[in-house]
Amino acid sequence: MTVDDWLAAFAAELRRRRVEPAGLVAEAAAHLRDSGRAPLQVFGPPTAYAVSLVDSLRGATTELRRPPSGEPRLAAVRIVKRYGRSTVLDGVDLSVHAGEVVAIIGANGSGKSTMLRICAGLLTPDSGHVRIRGTIGYCPQEGGTADFLTPDEHYVLIGAGRGEPREQARERGRTAAATLDWPRSSGSPVARHLSGGTRQKLNLVLAGLGDPDVLLLDEPYQGFDNGSYLDFWQQVWRWRDAGKAVVVVTHRLAELDRADAVLDLTPRSPR
Amino acid sequence: MSRTLTVAEMALREISRRRGVLILLALLPLAFYYSRRGEAYWQSVRFVSLGIGWTLSTAALFAGSAARAVEPRLRLSGYATHQLYLGRLAALWTVGLALIVPYFLLIRFDLDNVRHGPVALILLLTVAVAAPFGLALSALLPRELEGMLVLLTVVAMQMLLNPDKAVAHALPFWFTREIGVYAIEHDAGTDHVLRGLIHASITLTLFLTLVAVSSSLRLRRRPHISVA
Repeated sequence: MTVDDWLAAFAAELRRRRVEPAGLVAEAAAHLRDSGRAPLQVFGPPTAYAVSLVDSLRGATTELRRPPSGEPRLAAVRIVKRYGRSTVLDGVDLSVHAGEVVAIIGANGSGKSTMLRICAGLLTPDSGHVRIRGTIGYCPQEGGTADFLTPDEHYVLIGAGRGEPREQARERGRTAAATLDWPRSSGSPVARHLSGGTRQKLNLVLAGLGDPDVLLLDEPYQGFDNGSYLDFWQQVWRWRDAGKAVVVVTHRLAELDRADAVLDLTPRSPR
Repeated sequence: MSRTLTVAEMALREISRRRGVLILLALLPLAFYYSRRGEAYWQSVRFVSLGIGWTLSTAALFAGSAARAVEPRLRLSGYATHQLYLGRLAALWTVGLALIVPYFLLIRFDLDNVRHGPVALILLLTVAVAAPFGLALSALLPRELEGMLVLLTVVAMQMLLNPDKAVAHALPFWFTREIGVYAIEHDAGTDHVLRGLIHASITLTLFLTLVAVSSSLRLRRRPHISVA
């Protein structure tokens, strides 16, 4: 790996983590020039070095929680859901504003996906109600795509529902896919031949098509590699910056500082 | 209208990529036809329409089951429920029409002693009824295996039951026999055609209603949601 290649990969990883690369890259380049040694010997792999650097700088990054400032987009009030004798959700409240990211966490079976499906209107609660201001984009944990359609055809199909012309929907879908490290291509195979991670990227792109106001994402990063996972959060923050209300069901507790608020559905824990 | 056409187009694309299904769809009615061609040619007309009815219903069953995963998302994307099932029905009817053309031509040139107009009517009505029949089954029986078993049972009963029995009238393709009588027996009256048409109309209306009601229930906007 040449110095330029290493520096380019280092800069790309920093950008992925929303850290301005110019200063850090210049510093690393100067150090390499002075030492005259290969970058892999000095710093190790560029991705790993960027990760450790960002972790050490994390307190200085701008992606930490911020209080909601926009109007309320989603308000779920006293949601109760029972399956047989088991009460999965017991009076759960959730409020999400424009420009806010809320993470829903909880153990397996704690009702995270159930809560999201109730918010999307796909499942009826035993009691409680949900108010939505605007349109919904929903990314299910699994399913949500048609086995025998290509990604472009998915974009056209969803776009038509949103009232988008065919070419525009296709272009917007491809552009959104590219931001998730999924190269633009017109010759993609049908969905059933995509890898699990790529299929989830398609699922995520479809959720954002048509510019919905509220995005409900149910563990959408299943099968993503580390880079794509970071790209996913970049996309979430872009949505937040664009004034969308975003709800992400997640089980990765280490990443909760990426959300502005957290709803913990773990039984007997304070909510 | 354009949304319905988009659903129809995508459903057609999906079906056209199921090569195995398409081959079976094309060839299975042929096996039905030749199973009776030798000793009872008059039955071969009815059997080929049952074959078409069975294969198209099966295709509709699978199309309906596959659509269940994506339809909630399409509803949230702005589609009305009727646009979804009408689009899918339009695609299946198109496939059915493409399927019956070669079979009509086969009968036209292979069988001289039949009335070809009524034969065309049987094939058209079979396509009309089979598509919503399969979709209705997929709505009522979400698991494909169960739907397949019901389809097998219906076709087997259709072949084995004495068509004059009252219970046979409740089967979805009973009209094929009734109109078939007029197509094959030259002294038969048009009352057979009338009875067949009435039966097909009732069956079609019933299945369309089932599809519409079950889809509307499954994809309804839940009362706990209010959207501003």
